[in-house]
Order: sequence, then C-alpha cells, then structure tokens
Amino acid sequence: MTTYTICVFTENTFGILNKITTILTRRRINIESLTVSETERKGISRFTIVIHHDSREAVEKLVRQIRKVIEVLAVFGYLNEDIAFNEIALFKIPTPIDAKPIDIETINKVHKAWVVYWHLNYVIIQKTGSEEEIFEFFDYIKPHGILEFVRSGRVAVSKSPQTLVDYLPEANWEYIQ
Amino acid sequence: MEFNEKQTAVAEMDPQAVASTTPELINGSHAVIQALIHEGVETIFGYPGGAIMPVYDAIYDYQDRVNHILVRHEQGASHAAEGFARTTGKVGVCLATSGPGATNLVTGIADAIIDSTPMVCIVGQVAASLLGTDAFQETDIIGITIPITKWNYQITRADEIPEIMAKAFYIAKSGRPGPVLIDITKNAQNELLSKPFNYKKCEKLLSYHPRLAPKADQIQVAAKLINEAKKPFLFFGHGVNIAKAEEELLQFIEKTDVPAASTLLGLSSVSVDHPNYVGWLGMHGNYGTNVLTNQCDVIIAVGMRFDDRVTGDLSRYARQAKVVHIEIDPAEINKIMKTEAPVVGDAKIVLQQLLPLVNKNDHSEWRSEFKKYEQEEFEKITTPELSGDTEKIKMAEVIRKLSDKTNGEAIMVADVGQHQMMTARYYQFKKANSFITSGGLGTMGYALPAAFGAKVGAPDREVVAIIGDGCFQMTLQELGTIAQSGLPVKIIILNNNYLGMVRQWQQLFFEKRYSFVELQNPDFITIAKGFGIDGHTCANREDLQASIDTMIASDKPYLLEVLVEKEENVFPMVPTGASVSEIRLE
Ligand SMILES: Cc1ncc(C[n+]2csc(CCOP(=O)(O)OP(=O)(O)O)c2C)c(N)n1
Ligand SMILES: [Mg+2]
Repeated sequence: MTTYTICVFTENTFGILNKITTILTRRRINIESLTVSETERKGISRFTIVIHHDSREAVEKLVRQIRKVIEVLAVFGYLNEDIAFNEIALFKIPTPIDAKPIDIETINKVHKAWVVYWHLNYVIIQKTGSEEEIFEFFDYIKPHGILEFVRSGRVAVSKSPQTLVDYLPEANWEYIQ
Repeated sequence: MEFNEKQTAVAEMDPQAVASTTPELINGSHAVIQALIHEGVETIFGYPGGAIMPVYDAIYDYQDRVNHILVRHEQGASHAAEGFARTTGKVGVCLATSGPGATNLVTGIADAIIDSTPMVCIVGQVAASLLGTDAFQETDIIGITIPITKWNYQITRADEIPEIMAKAFYIAKSGRPGPVLIDITKNAQNELLSKPFNYKKCEKLLSYHPRLAPKADQIQVAAKLINEAKKPFLFFGHGVNIAKAEEELLQFIEKTDVPAASTLLGLSSVSVDHPNYVGWLGMHGNYGTNVLTNQCDVIIAVGMRFDDRVTGDLSRYARQAKVVHIEIDPAEINKIMKTEAPVVGDAKIVLQQLLPLVNKNDHSEWRSEFKKYEQEEFEKITTPELSGDTEKIKMAEVIRKLSDKTNGEAIMVADVGQHQMMTARYYQFKKANSFITSGGLGTMGYALPAAFGAKVGAPDREVVAIIGDGCFQMTLQELGTIAQSGLPVKIIILNNNYLGMVRQWQQLFFEKRYSFVELQNPDFITIAKGFGIDGHTCANREDLQASIDTMIASDKPYLLEVLVEKEENVFPMVPTGASVSEIRLE
C-alpha cells in the first residue's frame, strides 16, 4: 500500500465535501485523513485527503473523477516525496499524585512536543510531526496512560515551485486578508 | 511525481448572448420562467405539488410562450425530457414538487447521467426556514442526487435564480452533457428579487472548462497510429450523435477506409447501407464485430466508453490492439482501456482536425474478413429469425417489417429487454439520430415517456416505441399524457408474456429455473382504449403487415400489440465473463 495525498482546490460553496467524499465512497476507497480549510485566496477551499492504495492507476482515475465535480478548480495527487506535510496530535495524559511524573524535558527536547494545558489531574500535550513521529511519541507516552488522543489529519504543500495561481492564470483572486 | 488534472480553458462563446432586463421587480417564480425563456426552452415536462406551486402559478402567465406538458408520474417527466433532449440536442427540462415529486425523478436523472443526456430538473423545496426540520415533503434531494447529477444546487434566495439557472443550462449542455438538478426553496420562489431581473447566459466557469479542441500533439500521435495500422477498426458511440459529428465521421471512414462498428447508443449514426459499416458491438452485437475486435491492430474509439456490455471479459479484450480514444471526458481516458493515443475533445472538432492528417487508404482486404462472419451469422441467426416459418410471430419479423415500412428512417425508441436488442439488430437504420434507448442504466419503462418526449422534439418524424410487455407496465400511465397531447406516437408492444430477457438468462445460465418471470398480462388494447388511444392486437403472421400499415397510417397515437413467440432467445450473445471472441451463435 502506498500513501497518496490528494489536494483538491474548490470553490468554497455548500456541500462540496459531500460531492467529493461520495466519489471515494463509491469506489470503496477509505479516507485515512481529511482536512479542509480556506486557502490564501478568498473563496477557495483546499481539501487534503490522505488515502492508502496499492494501485497508482486507480488513484489517477480517482483524481480525474474528482476533477469532474463542477466546483473543483484543480486536483493534485502526490506521493510523500512530492510534498512537505505535517499533522498535529493532542494527547490528554493523566498526572495522578502517586504516579511517576511526566518528563517534560524529554518530551520537549527529544520529542519536540509541548504541554499546552495543565490541569490538576492531567496535562494536554501537543505533538506536531509526521505520522511516524506522532506514533513514536504515542509509544513513549503510553506507559502513563492516555485519556484521549486526537490527530488533525495531514496538511500538505507541494514542493513544486508552481502554485494554484500558475495553474489557473485566468483567476484573479484576492488574498483572504 | 505529480499528476495534475487541470485543463486549459476553452470557453464556448455565444455571440448571440444578450443581457436582458425587466424594469419592475419580479418574484423568484417568474424569474425561473423568464430564465427558461431566455434559454430558449419551449417545452417543460412537469407535475405540480405544494412546494412548487408558486412556479406553477407563474407558468399560468406564460402559457403562450412555454408549453408545459403534464405527465402522469414524475419518472415520466424525466424520461420524456431525455427523449426530447436526445432528438433535439437541446436541454430537456423537468419540473416537480419536493419530496416524492423529486424522488420520482431520480431514476430518470440516473439514466441521464450515465447516457450523457442534457437535462435540467427544477424541483420545489420547503421554505429555507424549515430545512432540516422534517417538514412536510422535505427530502434532501441534493444529498440524494449528488452522485447522479453533473451538478446540483439549492437556491434559497430569489436573487440567486438568474445566475444559477444560467449556470445550470451551461453545465447541462456543454462538454459531456448531463443532468443538473436545481432545488428551489418555497420562499425563494415567492420573494421578490431585490433588483430588476437581469439574465446573462453563462459561457464560462472558472472551475469548469470542457476541452472541445484537442491538443495538437495528441492529434499527431493519433494520426500516426491510424496511418500505420494494418487492421484498424473504428468504434463509434453516443458521442458522435451528441457532437453532431455524423458527417465528419463519414468522411473519416471513407478516407481511411476503416471498418466501423457501433455501440448500442451509436446506432443510426452511420447508415447500415454504408459499405464500411460492419455492425454493432458487444453482448448482443454482431458476430464479426466481436470476434475481429480481438484481431484488429488499432482501435479508433470515437465517443464511446468501453462499457462492460461492449467489452465482455476485459482481460481478454483486444489485448493485441493499440487504442486511439477520442473522447470529450478526460476521466474516460484509461478508465477501462489502456490508451496509446488519447485525444480529448469534441468528436466533431477532433475528426475535423484529424481528417487532413490521415492517409487515404484501402482496407478492403481487411474489411472483407468481416464478410465471412456476416455470412455465418446470416445463415445461422438472421435468416431463420426472419424466415417466418415458426408458428408464432418472432420479434425480428416485426422489427424488420416496420423497418421496411418506414424505410429505416423512423425514430425508434426501444425499452429494455429482448425487444430492445431485437430492435437494435433488425431495424435497418438509414438516418442519423434515430435510435433512443436506455443504454447505460437499462431502465425498464423508459420507452413510452421517452418516445413521447422524442415526438415532442421531432413532431415531423415518425416515432415508434418498441416496448416489452413487462416494461410497458412500468410507465403505462403516460398513455394519458400522450392521449392528452394528441401527438401521434406509435407504440408496439412485443408481448411474449415473459420478462423475456431475464427468462433467457435463467434458461441459459440457471438451468431453466424460471423464477418469477412469467407475466399474467392485462388486455393492453382495452387499457389503451380506456385512455382514448386506438389499438389492435396482432396474433398471426397474416395480419402483421396490415397491422403495421394501419398503425403507421394513423395520424393519432396508436398501440399495436403483437403476440410473439414466448421463449425465443436473442443471439448472438457474449455471456457475462466470456471474451468477445467467445460469442455464441446459439
Ligand atoms: C427497472 C428495471 N427493473 C428490472 C430490470 C431487469 N430487467 C431487464 S430486462 C427485463 C425484462 C423485460 O421484460 P419485457 O419488458 O417483457 O421485455 P422482453 O425481454 O420480454 O422483451 C428485466 C426484468 C431492469 N432492467 N429495469
Ligand atoms: Mg416480455
């Protein structure tokens, strides 16, 4: 199985998420992660969809089908090497009085993770990194117990010098702010 | 690695496009109808109900300009709109209420997307303030139709109407055509537009630009492959008809001298009389066309999509051949068949550009290879089917007699089943744009309303629906629509008292275990008469010619029921899972 990151640029109107996911569902392609946000340009949304697939051909077909959604401006399929990508994970870790205290220094220095919220009985730690790094940290912190764990899903930007504006020169968008 | 699906913009510019303004403020419903008028819509197939009543109230004022046809079931509206679109090339328009009205359109919408038929469905919706409350007749029709529309949109404010309607028509008819659904909440129909109605046709969208003119390098590669081919074989599909590329196709075929075969929906784009026409492809297509698919060296596919009913077992389908695929929808390229020379563009423009680049050729020797298969098929199937030496009439005889009677120039609208395949096999199409059937979806009940829509679109042509006894009972209420319109739609029921096609499969592949395929039928003629439509049952061969003559001579709608052989089978046949070269003659 290869990991593919599909970046979909769409007009920011109602129901696009549904229009895109139904294309994957129909082909029984499971979404590993999905993030949506407005791009640097006003009214343009960006979907980052991560899937695992063993057929590049099938992924290319998928990309072409997504392109058919009228509101979709452009679709790009990437391998990991084509993109800079990252995710954020949040861990809620219990800190009972009698337990071994968490090692903030290792968490900060080795795992590049930060405590973002302190509570009497637990802390919330934010870890940014690749999926592997997040799971390395997961393994490290597991002995303390994990009350809650959430991942943001991947965000990715292509390493190519081209931007959306290069692909859609006829568009004349403003920045969002 | 990076694959980008962005295409360059090629907009279709309509120099005639005019902006229009009405000075006084109108409400959303009037805006809907005015938009339709600006789009040149003269015919709407519809059915009223609560959530669309404001639009119906508006139509009342425009009866001199738009012809609203009241169907008997919204499915009928959708298929009628399809039939209309298929004959005219224009967008078929349906109007329905929310909830059940909208869901009744769903089958027709699914049919239209898979057969690339331009359609705009306008449906009412509960008021925006009630959305999501399970209000009376509230259905999430947007959610339901996302996978089966080319585009859909919910309008919740009257001010959106002009722009969205313009977009709807542009999307439905441009590129690879398809159905668009516009859901309009009741408040948007009722409220006044905040500014004077101003309609601008949509000619371009930032996010959608179908490629019409092909890339020069693709044309070059294709031409080279075609010129080098020893045994080229051209397949044409529905795309030729949609692009109105029949003339260009003919020139191409004649210059290159390639044998040409049709898909089901390509039928009639090339006359059966043409020396290069070798028949049709696929499951019930011809013998030679299927077998020689596995012997040609280059396939030139024009406006077709290698449907599984065409290819049979893909792993043994034309593995030896290189493929030139001329297709407007880039998503069809390499979807089924690996393609050496994709040419993305409108079939008409592509063929025009390809023509000067292909060599004049003589492939008569290669074409003659089809002859021996034709001969065998003729002896083993066609001749016996038409011989008239069985006790009961055979479907083939009816179709061939009708073909002769109408000089192969009628518009044939076939429903789904054995009678459909027999129509495709035995009607000798001589005129383009003459075959309408539900190809991709195989929607039983399609033909009666589609034939009506076809007749509305082509009142000067003979339109004959060929319908099975099973299919007829799915949409027969549209006899009421036909009777009310008075349009002389001719209807033939080929009655074998069976869901024949399913019975055939049960006979061949399920050891003749006939599971729920026998029909106890009503008296179809009495039914027709109940609707005020004249009809006749033909039970024996001696009466057949006269029955057909009477039907054709009638200047009113007419139903001819022909009692046919109960257990005949359609051959040739490529059984599912078999290769096209394993096509069975018996
Ligand atoms: C709506 C729908 N339901 C079921 C089918 C499956 N089906 C395909 S052909 C057929 C039989 C059609 O019977 P009839 O109209 O009598 O035609 P015949 O094959 O006998 O000519 C059936 C049930 C279908 N295509 N469409
Ligand atoms: Mg039947």
